[in-house]
Amino acid sequence: MGKNENLSYFLNEAKNIKTDNFEKKIRIAILGSSTINGYEETIRVKCHQKKIACRTYNSNYNQYNQEILKKDSKFYEFKPDITFLILDVRHVLGEIFFTPYSLSELEKKEFVKNKVREITNLIKTIINHSKSHVIFSDLQIPTYSPYGINEQKQEFGLKQIVKNINEKIKLEIKNEDLVSILDFNEFIQKYGEENIFNYKQYFSGDMKISIEFIPKFIDELMKFVNAITGSTKKCIVLDLDNTLWGGVIGEDGFDKIKLGDDPIGRSFVEFQKRLLALNQRGIILAINSKNNFDDAIKVINEHPNMILRRENFSSIKINWNDKVSNLREISKELNIGIDSLVFFDDDQINREFVKNQLSDILVVDLPTDSSIYPKILTELNVFELIKITDEDLKRRDMYSQQQERNEFKNEVGDFNEFLKKMDIEIKIKKADNFSISRISQLTLKTNQFNLTTKRYKENEIELFSKDENKIVECAEVKDKFGDNGITGAYIVEKKENEWIIDTFLLSCRIIGRGIEDSMLSEIIEKARKQNVKIIKGKFIPTQKNKPAKNFYENFGFSLEEDFWVFNTDNTINKPEHIKVIKNE
Amino acid sequence: MNEKLYQIISKVFNVESSKINDETSPENLEEWDSFNFYVLLDELENEFNIKFDLDETLEIKKVEDFKEILKKHGIDV
Repeated sequence: MGKNENLSYFLNEAKNIKTDNFEKKIRIAILGSSTINGYEETIRVKCHQKKIACRTYNSNYNQYNQEILKKDSKFYEFKPDITFLILDVRHVLGEIFFTPYSLSELEKKEFVKNKVREITNLIKTIINHSKSHVIFSDLQIPTYSPYGINEQKQEFGLKQIVKNINEKIKLEIKNEDLVSILDFNEFIQKYGEENIFNYKQYFSGDMKISIEFIPKFIDELMKFVNAITGSTKKCIVLDLDNTLWGGVIGEDGFDKIKLGDDPIGRSFVEFQKRLLALNQRGIILAINSKNNFDDAIKVINEHPNMILRRENFSSIKINWNDKVSNLREISKELNIGIDSLVFFDDDQINREFVKNQLSDILVVDLPTDSSIYPKILTELNVFELIKITDEDLKRRDMYSQQQERNEFKNEVGDFNEFLKKMDIEIKIKKADNFSISRISQLTLKTNQFNLTTKRYKENEIELFSKDENKIVECAEVKDKFGDNGITGAYIVEKKENEWIIDTFLLSCRIIGRGIEDSMLSEIIEKARKQNVKIIKGKFIPTQKNKPAKNFYENFGFSLEEDFWVFNTDNTINKPEHIKVIKNE
Repeated sequence: MNEKLYQIISKVFNVESSKINDETSPENLEEWDSFNFYVLLDELENEFNIKFDLDETLEIKKVEDFKEILKKHGIDV
């Protein structure tokens, strides 16, 4: 990647994409008030690079209004999963953009009110007539005012008009789970208006983002695409020498490594601070380093300028094994897929080795200049979530509790004894406003213990939860070491004489403790109460869901054609060590 | 230098450079549309580190016109 990736590269690449057979699929509509040529080609290529099969729809030039308001428009016919609504400030403000002071203060306030109403009406119309997420790119705050340096003293100046429109739209859509805001001003701040806005291209073809910066703008759109398709990374695996600190601990020693008081050292400290912030947001950290354990751990525990400490790392591999074996171990230990890992290592040979052996992992190409590390981390854009749930924020604690559990398991020795002493308690809950986003997130992200691997977006889960013929429930799991949060879910389709399990999944970190059996028992008991005799479910094999392969069989289901079937008259093996609380 | 110009044009329009000559224009090259014409202008500006005036760009009807304008900017093609 790099220099060649200007717009013509994307325009040409887009023609080369064959129908792709990726598991992840997305339909993206882009509605704009000005020329948006090149956007859809670029986004298709960027999706393809991320192994997402993408179809796109472009509104006709400045036709977004009609397309949104007419319910039989091509836009709705396209059935987008994501709609980007990109309105530019000149278009929205019209003449007021140039002559804001032709209006009285009262008129200006009225103007703001009308614009907010128009735009939120468009957004809400899309939500009501489709299942699409809507991403609204907020209005650019002008950098020029005819009042010049006096602009700041105006009662309700041009910039304030725009800021006000942005703020009020934000408030209006705050409770709409399907609506997000793309911070266009952040994009402008990052690359500069002088680069992004090109007068010649604007007058020539009504382009509001210069040709050179269209690919960069599409990166902003991709953040949402990644989040919505669940292409989010969960864990950062870090090398130590010249990655978390400057120098080599085994050669330079505790006092000589660069961490803190010099230019090089400051860059590593900043890099660690950025990592800490991600860790606090729920991204797990791990270490994969070739070193003497005692030398390296001493730095982590005792170095005065070290920001990340032992408790920030959920898995620590400091040994002389090869990096790939360590990464496999980390993935196993934390129970997360290799494709959820990001690997940072300053050594190019290590990086190539890992890329070669583990194609699903994201290996970051670190430059030799450590001052660029923080920038590289903050521009990765692979940790985006459309909504940060409680579970995300708690994840860090959950993994350290996991370590305690493992230690306890070793202490107790006998596995059944261990389970009994764990005091596992699960709460079965119907999907509600608090859990819908988490349930969707589980269907998007769970790969291992997932019987059908059906991916559902938040609005789909919401629809199912309102459907009388469906049961959408989740399991909140607790034990003596702590709260795992919502870590299991199922969706059952109720037919007259039989129930079909559409989705049944469990977060990998709680597999193998009988929780899955308790959840399935719960479905069966419910069916019994309603005199339903037959429960059916499919196991759809993927590359990753082997752990769930024998689940139905072990529980006593028998295979009849495509389905595993259970007669509810049969006895069930409900795990006795688990307390189930029903919350109906 | 002729080659360089043809090379950039062929890259942006995604056609073989053998198909490009001084008489190539939107009339005889399907791939030349109004949008990738702007993309081409942008790439030429970046490649040769120059800025075209708006009115210059409006005069371009065929490949030969690019040469003329580049020459005005001191680029010999």
